[in-house]
Amino acid sequence: MTSVVPVLNDSMVAGYLERFITEELHSSGFTEASIAVSGGLDSAVVLKLACDALGTAHVHPVFLPYKASSEESRRDAGAIVSACGLAWTELDITAMADAYVALEPGIDRLRTGNLLARLRMAVIFDQSKKEHSLVIGTSNKSELLVGYSTWYGDMACAMMPIGDLYKTQVRSLAAFMGVPQQIIEKPPSADLWTGQTDEAEIGVTYDTLDQVLFLLVDQRLSPEEVAQQGFEAGVVRAVERKIVSSQFKRVLPPIAKTSQRTVATDFLYPRDWCT
Amino acid sequence: MTYTVALAQINPLCGDIAANVAMHRMCIEQALDAHADLIVFPELSLTGYALRDQTLTVMRRPGAAEFAPLVESSRNIAICAGFVEEGEDGIPYNSAFFADGGALVHVHRKIYPPTHGMFEELRFFGRGRSLSVFETRFGCMGIVICRDLFHMLEVSTMAALGVQLLLAPSAMPARGFQGDELSIERTVQLAVGSATSLLGMYVAYVNRVGFDDGLGFYGGSMLSDPELGVTASGPRFEAAQVLGTIDTVHIARHAYQFPIHREEDLTIVRHALNERRTQ
Repeated sequence: MTSVVPVLNDSMVAGYLERFITEELHSSGFTEASIAVSGGLDSAVVLKLACDALGTAHVHPVFLPYKASSEESRRDAGAIVSACGLAWTELDITAMADAYVALEPGIDRLRTGNLLARLRMAVIFDQSKKEHSLVIGTSNKSELLVGYSTWYGDMACAMMPIGDLYKTQVRSLAAFMGVPQQIIEKPPSADLWTGQTDEAEIGVTYDTLDQVLFLLVDQRLSPEEVAQQGFEAGVVRAVERKIVSSQFKRVLPPIAKTSQRTVATDFLYPRDWCT
Repeated sequence: MTYTVALAQINPLCGDIAANVAMHRMCIEQALDAHADLIVFPELSLTGYALRDQTLTVMRRPGAAEFAPLVESSRNIAICAGFVEEGEDGIPYNSAFFADGGALVHVHRKIYPPTHGMFEELRFFGRGRSLSVFETRFGCMGIVICRDLFHMLEVSTMAALGVQLLLAPSAMPARGFQGDELSIERTVQLAVGSATSLLGMYVAYVNRVGFDDGLGFYGGSMLSDPELGVTASGPRFEAAQVLGTIDTVHIARHAYQFPIHREEDLTIVRHALNERRTQ
């Protein structure tokens, strides 16, 4: 079945996102960008976009492995960093993570995964301060919608250039931009433990997930209408549940209103606020 | 009569009137060097678009001192520019002024500030209540601001009232990246093409570029001629100043060849509306 997710004009999208990165960075008074590279598709695409937008001298990739990170991640992070003509900073987070894990003997995989994502966030933000840069996020639309990301972990950043592109669209953009083939073809993984893959964790392939999301979100179809288009009703319901249950990750925490003007409720300014 | 119009496809700074006035003055200098007779800027060109609560601090009366250099420049070139108007009722409006001969000639208040999806204009602006049809040394002119252009009933009425050149300042966000052009571009081309091909008006569509937060504006400004179609067009996403020529003979000839305007009978519309009202 041909995918219902639109095939984008990758050349136009790339140019547009490069302008977005440049303008958002400059309007915030910065010239430098820091990006946590994992060896995966999303960070590879964002790194390439940032290099094309800003020039390699202004892009600072940081590789943040944990002892359970695969050798493949290191190899692929190295491949995209060298393809961009950059050198990386490597900072192993094992010691800081294990210092905490030792205090929590019963910690499970999910908690450890969240811990690693938040430690990486703390490190990349510190590195960005060191480089006088902004952190460019690498979340895509598929994971933002189903909440397959860590709140205040990998979601924390100054901007999300590919946050409105589904994973399958990011894959197409990667091919257009010349991201090494091995990164495009390997099964997406957060690499939080050995053998982890996104699709096994989410419970559906990105190909199906993106189509269901596109129909539910972009086309505003009901779950019943999506199922009528040939998607398994149980999968559609599960995807819808993931969207709803992860809404808290996509908004600011509610602020109890007590005054005339409350942040985010009626104190409303753009990020690009000129004074 | 032939005259030259400059389409100033700029990237205004959000909330910085002084910087935007300076940007306008540079564009005006450039247009004067090119012997343009009229320059058109995008929607909210003097303030930026995604203002939200900055609306209160950037709203100005049309005669505000900050705009005086532009009005003064209109002694040499007619100017249409966008701003947040502080109405006499204290309400902020999304407006555009037309200045010529060193004086403000007309102010249009956006009639349909969109408020759905990504748009939240009515949260901050009041609604204009009047079609803008006014006489100028170039002939009968009209102004529609961005969404107003898509309201074909109003555009058709303006044509029926004799508008020959429709100024369409815009802040149209990019979306729909499939194919060779954006899906929103096709919608704009349809609206502009209908106004020129069917209604016989010139349309000067001027869209801004750049980003206000995540909203990216695509440019693609154009001058559309009733006989020739699009005769001048701006690039996608890049700031540029584009020149086009207006020849009023084209309006007269189109009207003779394809006499929609002559056939138009507003009494039929008026009757239908009255019937509806009495039902």
